[in-house]
Amino acid sequence: MAAPKLPPLPADKGVWDDHAIDRRGFLEAAFGVLAGMGALLVAVPGVRFLVGNSLDVTATKWVELPIKVADLAPGVMAQMSYNADETDEWRAVVQRGIVYVSSPDGGNTFSVLDGTCTHLGCIVQWDQDKNEFVCPCHSGRFTHAGEVISGPPPRRLRQMATKVQDGSLFIEI
Amino acid sequence: MNRIFEWVDERTGLSGPVRDFLNYPIPKYVHRNFLYTLGGLTLITFMLQAVTGILLAFYYDPSTEEGAYDSVDYINYQLPLGWLIRGLHHYGSSAMVILVSLHMLRTYYFSAYKKPRELNWLTGVLLFFLVLSFGFTGYLLPWDQKGYWATKVGTEIAGSVPFIGSFIMHMMRGGDALGQATLSRFYAGHILLLPASVALLIVIHIFQLRHHGMAPAITTKAQAQSKTFVPFFPHWVLNDTLAGLGLLALLVYMTWANHAPLGFPADPTSNNFVPRPEWYFMFYFQLLKYFPGALEPVATILIPLFLFGSMILLPFVDLSEERRPWRKPVTTLVSIFYIVVIIVFTILGMAAYA
Repeated sequence: MAAPKLPPLPADKGVWDDHAIDRRGFLEAAFGVLAGMGALLVAVPGVRFLVGNSLDVTATKWVELPIKVADLAPGVMAQMSYNADETDEWRAVVQRGIVYVSSPDGGNTFSVLDGTCTHLGCIVQWDQDKNEFVCPCHSGRFTHAGEVISGPPPRRLRQMATKVQDGSLFIEI
Repeated sequence: MNRIFEWVDERTGLSGPVRDFLNYPIPKYVHRNFLYTLGGLTLITFMLQAVTGILLAFYYDPSTEEGAYDSVDYINYQLPLGWLIRGLHHYGSSAMVILVSLHMLRTYYFSAYKKPRELNWLTGVLLFFLVLSFGFTGYLLPWDQKGYWATKVGTEIAGSVPFIGSFIMHMMRGGDALGQATLSRFYAGHILLLPASVALLIVIHIFQLRHHGMAPAITTKAQAQSKTFVPFFPHWVLNDTLAGLGLLALLVYMTWANHAPLGFPADPTSNNFVPRPEWYFMFYFQLLKYFPGALEPVATILIPLFLFGSMILLPFVDLSEERRPWRKPVTTLVSIFYIVVIIVFTILGMAAYA
């Protein structure tokens, strides 16, 4: 593509260097390539830098709940918070969460439900009278087993893996 | 004085362009109509947000473990005039959303988006969404319950986009969960990326406005005044200045009467806190309730996409020459429908959480 002609300079100023002007197209292309390379040299590492460790998958781990299996009363839905040591970027923090623990037979079999609503991540509340979970954000409702009754949640409440060690209940987060 | 001015002008060559800018002819129908101050008023509010924001940054500590919350608490309750600066920034953000919306409605009803001003409408739409992004990122910064949960819900909405949702959500949060990475990202976006983008777009927006001049008058009374002009400075600037002072007085009064709120510190385990967004996102928050299960993406993606898309496409769809809103019932009725829907769902949302 030929570069468009330059308007003539005012007579008292001087003239364009025709020899240099002939190379204008080449110089424009050279600028495009070099500037593009420079931009890419900044942009590629820049984007990688921005992504950072965002996409890392956190390894699961076992966390002890603050209750002994023997203390679980049959048919009671117990709300419990757990604490897990976690590293948030450079800082050691305590990650906390809410689970609902129930045991129909008083300590032989358990159900531990993640209290996080599957709709948009609010914490659900247990309504003892109605025997169901209610999300305070958008009124999603779940049965005591965590199945969706009504409202916007797309999935049931997450059932967490459990194990018992020395009479203590552990969950996998 | 004059000699100093001439000395500077000889070395900078600024007086010509500045004089042209200030002497720009404004039609009398524009000068006489206070609705045309809405754009300038938005710019004044942006300047107020920039000044108060820079001041707040001198004290704010963007770290999750007490730093952010305690520094905002300190600004709000112990720092001399901290309540005023944070209050102006807090209420100023609401003013910004209201003024941008009114400015857009004015442009809409005066058909000022029509040829050849399509791109000016588009930079305006972009600025509108940047203002909403300002609101969304700024909401998290105090790291209180409101900000934490609104951000949790907001990023989950982004996460429900098919295929790329999870990637977007992780990029917004800077990881799997809300934490330090999220706060750092929102802070950098709020104080560096967004202000720089908005400032650049405002320059383009105003440059385009100057290039095309004001859109034609729509009433016969205004058309009769379209051949008479006043200079931009001081006549028009004084209008904006008076409106700006009025707004500042209102914001100071609101801040004085009701200090900017600060909730309890963010607590990921609380289930007695009912998350709710800032009032201008309330209608959308309420809308999310009506789309169960598989229909969720309708509310989280299709509706925002449709709203944003129709705003972008407006000047390319409405191609008629007609500029009077009472003669083009389709666009007028559509806008009234949207306004009614937004008001109704805002009221429903407010009532549900009152």
